[in-house]
Amino acid sequence: MMDANLPSMAASQASFPWLSLIVLLPLAGAALMPLLPEPANKTSTAPRNLALTILLADFLIMLGVFSKVFDHAVGGLQLVERISWLPFIGLEWSLGADGISVPLVVLSGLITLLSVAASWEIRQKSRLYFTLLLLQASAQALVFLSQDFLLFFLAWELELVPVYLLIAIWGGTRRQYAATKFILFTALASLLILISGLALALNGNDFTLNLSELSNKSLDGGLGLLCYIGFLIGFGVKLPIFPLHTWLPDAHGEANAPVSMLLAGVLLKMGGYALLRFNVQMLPDIHVQLAPGLIAIGIVNVVYGALNAFAQDNVKRRIACSSVSHMGFVLLGIGAIDALGISGAMLQMISHGLIAAAMFFITGSFYDRTKTLSIPNMGGLAKVLPITFAFFLASSLASLALPGMSGFVSEISVFLGITSQEGFTSLFRSITIFLAAIGLVLTPIYLLSMCRRVFFGPRIPALAQINDMNPRELTIGLSLLIPTLVIGLWPRVAIDLYESSTNILAENLSAHSLFGVSHLLNLG
Amino acid sequence: MPSAAEIAWLIPVLPLLGAVITGLGLISFNRTINRLRKPVAVILLSCLGAAAVLSYAVLLEQLAGAPSVEHLFIWASAGDFTLPMGYVIDPLGAVMLSLVTTIALLVMVYSHGYMAHDKGYVRFFTYLALFSSSMLGLIVSPNLLEIYVFWELVGMCSYLLVGFWYDREGAAHAAQKAFVVNRVGDFGLLLGILGLFWATGSFDFQGISSGLSQAIDLGTVPNWAALTMCLLVFMGPMAKSAQFPLHVWLPDAMEGPTPISALIHAATMVAAGVFLVARLEPLYSQFPLVGMIIAIIGTITCFLGASIALTQMDLKKGLAYSTVSQLGYMMLAMGCGAPIAGMFHLVTHAFFKAMLFLGSGSVIHAMEDVVGHEPILAQDMRLMGGLRKKMPITAITFFIGCIAISGIPPLAGFWSKDEILGQAFNTFPLLWGVGFLTAGMTAFYMFRLYFLTFEGSFRGENKDLQEQLLLASGNSSDESDHAHSPPGVLHESPWSMTLPLSILAVPSVLIGLMGTPWNSRFAALLNPEEAIEMAKTFSWGEFLPLAGASVGISSVGISIAVLGYFLNRIDLDKSVASRFPSINKFLANKWYLDDINEKLFVQGSRKLAKEVLEVDAKVVDGVVNLTGLLTLGSGEGLKYFETGRAQFYALIVFGGVIALVVLFGVLGNPPN
Repeated sequence: MMDANLPSMAASQASFPWLSLIVLLPLAGAALMPLLPEPANKTSTAPRNLALTILLADFLIMLGVFSKVFDHAVGGLQLVERISWLPFIGLEWSLGADGISVPLVVLSGLITLLSVAASWEIRQKSRLYFTLLLLQASAQALVFLSQDFLLFFLAWELELVPVYLLIAIWGGTRRQYAATKFILFTALASLLILISGLALALNGNDFTLNLSELSNKSLDGGLGLLCYIGFLIGFGVKLPIFPLHTWLPDAHGEANAPVSMLLAGVLLKMGGYALLRFNVQMLPDIHVQLAPGLIAIGIVNVVYGALNAFAQDNVKRRIACSSVSHMGFVLLGIGAIDALGISGAMLQMISHGLIAAAMFFITGSFYDRTKTLSIPNMGGLAKVLPITFAFFLASSLASLALPGMSGFVSEISVFLGITSQEGFTSLFRSITIFLAAIGLVLTPIYLLSMCRRVFFGPRIPALAQINDMNPRELTIGLSLLIPTLVIGLWPRVAIDLYESSTNILAENLSAHSLFGVSHLLNLG
Repeated sequence: MPSAAEIAWLIPVLPLLGAVITGLGLISFNRTINRLRKPVAVILLSCLGAAAVLSYAVLLEQLAGAPSVEHLFIWASAGDFTLPMGYVIDPLGAVMLSLVTTIALLVMVYSHGYMAHDKGYVRFFTYLALFSSSMLGLIVSPNLLEIYVFWELVGMCSYLLVGFWYDREGAAHAAQKAFVVNRVGDFGLLLGILGLFWATGSFDFQGISSGLSQAIDLGTVPNWAALTMCLLVFMGPMAKSAQFPLHVWLPDAMEGPTPISALIHAATMVAAGVFLVARLEPLYSQFPLVGMIIAIIGTITCFLGASIALTQMDLKKGLAYSTVSQLGYMMLAMGCGAPIAGMFHLVTHAFFKAMLFLGSGSVIHAMEDVVGHEPILAQDMRLMGGLRKKMPITAITFFIGCIAISGIPPLAGFWSKDEILGQAFNTFPLLWGVGFLTAGMTAFYMFRLYFLTFEGSFRGENKDLQEQLLLASGNSSDESDHAHSPPGVLHESPWSMTLPLSILAVPSVLIGLMGTPWNSRFAALLNPEEAIEMAKTFSWGEFLPLAGASVGISSVGISIAVLGYFLNRIDLDKSVASRFPSINKFLANKWYLDDINEKLFVQGSRKLAKEVLEVDAKVVDGVVNLTGLLTLGSGEGLKYFETGRAQFYALIVFGGVIALVVLFGVLGNPPN
């Protein structure tokens, strides 16, 4: 009964549990960590090296598996593994990958690896620090790969703990406040996710926690709508959507640079991924009806985030607000309910993951040297740090959707997706595009003015003797910017990874006609 | 052997390759590459040289009547949507390719001399190659979206190059302003492209224009919507080609090194807007109203630029406003439905204006040895004078440029400007009147520049005046670490700078003869039918009075400049400026457009952002935090929360799981 609904599964049943290996390898590394000899002094690099080795191996396995074993032409789930784990509550170790999860798994693998490399100088409680990063790597891979709701939820929750501790222990001066706010927001949101998921699972005659089977359930309007809204708020906190975004500037402002890379590069993407996996895939009829609302929130995100960013005086908080603005395009793309829009949303997640991580990394790199992030207190850094300047400028240009960089392709896809959505009226599309395009004008204003105030201008005498980026930092920067450039120049590299899966999503959506919002309001 | 057009994709790719190689080198081995000036220059020059040779071959083929070539490939796709990219070679493109590669090559040679003492020599050359590549890509783009891609890329190169001296506050502001103002234009361009795609389902020029007329006939697209889209698209050219009111970035962009002002902000990039309008001619020709609006904006720009140029004391700024004005002429031609005339002026202007800018660079280069590396001093004409004796080649070429731009036959500017004015006379007589008046102003301000710079006696050693100028700019000499270089003597620039000047003088004199109205080889290349038509309807009776009038008003302008600044017979300060102080103030403040811009948009957006952040911190954050506290049972919950975060958190997670188990128990429906 269970397998009958999954035609693609039998065909691609993997002989070797590759996905489990990808998920569990970092966990095994974390388990090894306490076995390392107690460091004699505070300069032991063993934990770092172990984490780096494990994550590099994990990343290479990902690349190998997803390029050799995984077939990109297939839109459905592949490499499926299903083992009954706790039968009395229906929990299964159920993993599977499709075009939506694969790019994000690889992205999170890359970002985590680079985040460990960026944590080179961490000396304080380094064993705990790197253990947490390894745990985080496992948990986030599990979020993207799990095909069982309960497993997904556990992973979703598990991944909060390392981030919480990483902010609360290694953060800035207001770290307690930021970490608390982060956990408060996400934990409460999790409750909504749990309730919505269980309501879906319990609905109808047969109970199931399997995501693919949940998609096949048909729901009556009222309950489906409640579940949809529950998911939207729950995942929206992570994305983040307005008005649930206020934890993000605080978290970014206090987290150290490697943790910020994780936050922006991976955690925000979980929100977008889950929206696609749950709201779009499981509740397509409701999604189609609520799409205009999603677009409205997306526009608010884009414009409101950009305006907030412009007023921020702290480099990291400004980039954090720019994330709010950029993730608005993910909402817009998902709201466009066609292949082009969803493809744009996917690409925007990948692109923003790379670019925001790059910006936070470079920020951290000059913060180590200048010890300040306050924009009014800086200036003339380019004179002493020309390479850092080049990297920061390049990622700023990428972030403002310069053609030739990945952000342009994703944002233009979202725009085209909305333009060509015949389900919306011309007026709605015109207004949407007009308002969203205002974001395109605001982005260079806040990014380039930050570049100007931090890097341009005469040299500040106090900064006379600092060194520019070292080869390790160069490598990390290039590892983030080269993919951005490659995708920008030849977007098929990324699009081919997910296109067959997003096309299925879009077809599924177009099967549900647009009734408009009025129909939905007749809940009785 | 393949035809040149078949391998024309190499034209933008070659400079890109060069830029990528040196760029990667700069990032990874900064110090080493910065020392390898000669090899870098040789590599990039040969890349660009090869591109130039290919461009000439392409142009020769097109002159010989070869058909257009187009090659496309699928760049991106989703569902049943595909986005083709590729390149197209046609007569218009071939002309632009040759023009851009020629000037870029000469500017690169020139930069070898101009940037010789600059630490950023290699970076400068890399940016130059990157710009050339983007600009060439723009020219061969077969559809609007690809145009948009390169449109933004040339904008980025302009940003990088205006901000090249990043330790100068002025450069930093100017670069940002250039990018943001251009983004405002691109905002309209993008909306227009999306609108046209919505209406026609196409991005390529032919598809759009035929699709739109079809859609209007069928009634699926209302006329006003089509008009709006055309005007939105035109916002792009307005920003890029510095048309009123989006021209404000161009004069500020003079903060960049002078070779850049010549290449990007006079000859090539700013002409891209005119080029795009020419590409879209089949679209715009369907809407006479759009043409009229373009013509009016062009005329306003034309007059505005010339009027501000009348009072400028900064040599480069004077040339910059002259560029604004000349771009206005080109747009006027486009609006009159005469793209050939507009393109012809683009070509002639590119040569003589590049030469003028390079000439000003040569002057500044010499002045820097006397007054130091301080742009406020080195570019101010009050400190110049009498330079002709010290730098004869620069002076002669600058003089040729002045005659050419003033429209004195048989030099280049005469033929192209006269054709535009002739077209305007037939289409919009009122606009012709303004353009005609502007021609006189052009002749006056150009010769004013020439006389103040090259004739009379040298005023550069006047220390009091220097102090005064620095004070007026709010920048005392102690702050700048450049100003202390020891005073040297004036000298002619090295051969690498004078050679490009001399080469550019040749087309500045002769290229106009390609476009004589009775036998226009330029028109024959772009549109053979129209060329025959032009030759047929040409009559000396019509041509001579108009041309005579143009030459007449230019002569008047030149005469006033001679009397005022060379022979010193009339004191323009006393007789004109002080008699109309309000007009003089209005012009000196550049029509107050910068102040309006600063007050309305810059301050306005800053204030708005501040208020939004306030709302975010107090209202949005406050509400969300409060609801969080309420669910925890207010203060008690917070206390518990502060002391036992981890426990509380674990409680939620495991509470959830326990709830799950209980739920299953109650339902009594364990899954199999």
